[in-house]
Amino acid sequence: METHYVSEADFIKLLSWLENRGDLYVASREDDQVSIKPFGEVGEFTYPGVRAYQPLKPLFFSLLEEVAEYPTEEEALREIKPFSILGAASCDIRAIEALDHVFLEGQFKDPFYEERRRKSLIIGFDCTEPLETCFCVIMGNNPYPEKNFDLNLSKIEGGYVVEVGSEKGKEVVEANKEIFKPATENHLSQRDAIRSSVKATVEKQSKEFKPSGAWREILAKAFDDSAWARNVETCVECAACLFICPTCQCFLLYDERAGDRYKRLRMWDACAYKNFAKVAGGANPRPHLVERFRHRYYHKLDYFPKNYGFEACTGCGRCIVACPGKIDMRKVLKEVCKS
Amino acid sequence: MQVVKNIYKPVTADILEVIDETPTIKTFVVRPRQPIGFQAGEFMEVTVPGVGEAPFTPSSSPNVKETIDFTIMKVGRVTEAIHRMRKGDTVGVRGPLGKGYPLDAWKGKEICIVGGGVGGAPLRALFLALTERLDDFKKILYCYGARTPKDIVYKKQIMEEWPKIDPKKVEIRLTVDEGDETWKGNVGVVTTVVRDLGLDLASSVAVVCGPPIMMKFATFKLLELGYPESSIYLSMEKNMSCGVGKCGHCMLGEYMVCQDGPVLTYDLIKDKPGIWD
Ligand SMILES: Cc1cc2nc3c(=O)[nH]c(=O)nc-3n(C[C@H](O)[C@H](O)[C@H](O)COP(=O)(O)OP(=O)(O)OC[C@H]3O[C@@H](n4cnc5c(N)ncnc54)[C@H](O)[C@@H]3O)c2cc1C
Ligand code: SF4
Ligand code: FES
Repeated sequence: METHYVSEADFIKLLSWLENRGDLYVASREDDQVSIKPFGEVGEFTYPGVRAYQPLKPLFFSLLEEVAEYPTEEEALREIKPFSILGAASCDIRAIEALDHVFLEGQFKDPFYEERRRKSLIIGFDCTEPLETCFCVIMGNNPYPEKNFDLNLSKIEGGYVVEVGSEKGKEVVEANKEIFKPATENHLSQRDAIRSSVKATVEKQSKEFKPSGAWREILAKAFDDSAWARNVETCVECAACLFICPTCQCFLLYDERAGDRYKRLRMWDACAYKNFAKVAGGANPRPHLVERFRHRYYHKLDYFPKNYGFEACTGCGRCIVACPGKIDMRKVLKEVCKS
Repeated sequence: MQVVKNIYKPVTADILEVIDETPTIKTFVVRPRQPIGFQAGEFMEVTVPGVGEAPFTPSSSPNVKETIDFTIMKVGRVTEAIHRMRKGDTVGVRGPLGKGYPLDAWKGKEICIVGGGVGGAPLRALFLALTERLDDFKKILYCYGARTPKDIVYKKQIMEEWPKIDPKKVEIRLTVDEGDETWKGNVGVVTTVVRDLGLDLASSVAVVCGPPIMMKFATFKLLELGYPESSIYLSMEKNMSCGVGKCGHCMLGEYMVCQDGPVLTYDLIKDKPGIWD
């Protein structure tokens, strides 16, 4: 992939170009937390260093949105303004890859997701300050993006190595030719040194959780493991782990009257809820909490890989932070691996 | 093929007729204002305006293009609202969705259909699709069970018309869990008529649709009779919202039943958690 160098001073010019392109969201660091905010609210860019506390998912798949109005003849879908995300961590880019499979593949494409993906420009970055809860490396991912971004930034002395990952990214470079300088051997070796040292840090803290083989093979033998029941004990069924998850896709459609018409709304839903899969006759494939708890692990690490070839857990660790019951996915899986 | 349109928006359909089938089941004959074709076993999401949607499989022949029949049992919020609707009212229809029965792959075979209750709905669409090209199939055996004689759907068709289609090739077997003074046929659950099939299992397929408990025992019975797992086609009824493979509600193992099914062969799903629930 093609790489360039942009100095910190020149980078400011890129920011104003991005602002003119459409809406601009930046991952911005405040104290020790990073959050995704409209650039207008922040006014500057500080290298985030690690994923934001919220996932990027809501920018592509809203918590609540109108998806249809009926009865009407017209098919017109809402047009969406172009937008850029500056500051997507590797795990969050992986999450978008997962959602792309769900919403854009198969017989039907989700038109709302598709429109947002088409209008989005994703600028990733290499992690430099991983959190204690980060475990991307045991989910087949590195703490630096390697694909599925438009541009990627690697912080080095005085500026950034910028890697181009798509046609859209190329267009940004074309439009801002004067600030993109050739990346030298020195720039690249600086980047690679930082990458390996951050990777080593995440590997070290994840070492005790490293699986003995492919997750799918481990889970194939673990369905009846007592670890599920042991670990679900402190779960209060709040579904925080699912709503904060960057790859959770579940939703519910519901209808409302709107004047002389009706509208259909789509709202995030969660498989942790008791009636999520219950059918009218009363049958429920997962009536017990432990079954719903386990379903999440199987969906991410067994069912999703069977369908798409990679895990739908990105190792971002948000569910660990969000859980009021202090359930740590890594520890649950470690117990499952052990037996 | 990718369909670029709003996959969440229903097409308006006029209710032309409402037929009382049983005390809790009605058939709604609707005419969509835009043509919607379907294959037997594919389903659609039917909208009651302002109330919501639920999945139903058309029960009419896929060869009838103008209108679609839905046979609906009253069990909850959406189905109660549908049951209150009359001729002249409008509903929304979204579909066709999912994969139906692979009729072409069944050419030259003998087909054993086992159904119960409102499961007779998709099976009528299938039965009609099969018998309307009867030359393609060797034999069709239709076994159907209802709770009582009053609960038999499409009674007149099943009891009077269907047995006359081609008595050499088409056999109808009916049973009820509980008879009454008018009932002269078999009494017992549907599996009691799934025996002495007179079919060559090696070149036969079986199709099952009905309440979960019936599906389970019918499947076990067919296995016991010697049907290979991959020749038993089940219409899986799972909770559904989107119907287009996105919302996660219908998952059965790695399968999105709304897209990978609803018709799935037993070998694919036999080990999936919650298969019968
Ligand atoms: C592929 C398929 C085909 C079907 N075909 C028919 C048919 O031809 N005739 C018929 O009478 N019934 C059929 N059903 C069952 C029918 O969809 C349910 O009876 C209906 O969804 C119940 O909705 P309700 O709002 O009245 O019930 P409630 O119990 O009030 O349901 C509340 C919600 O739960 C969900 N839900 C509940 N039960 C089911 C269920 N069994 N399947 C899917 N979602 C459910 C729905 O999202 C519904 O909005 C079919 C189901 C599936 C999956
Ligand atoms: S999980 Fe990995 S990629 Fe994600 S923020 Fe942590 S170190 Fe970065
Ligand atoms: S009903 Fe939404 S994924 Fe199947």
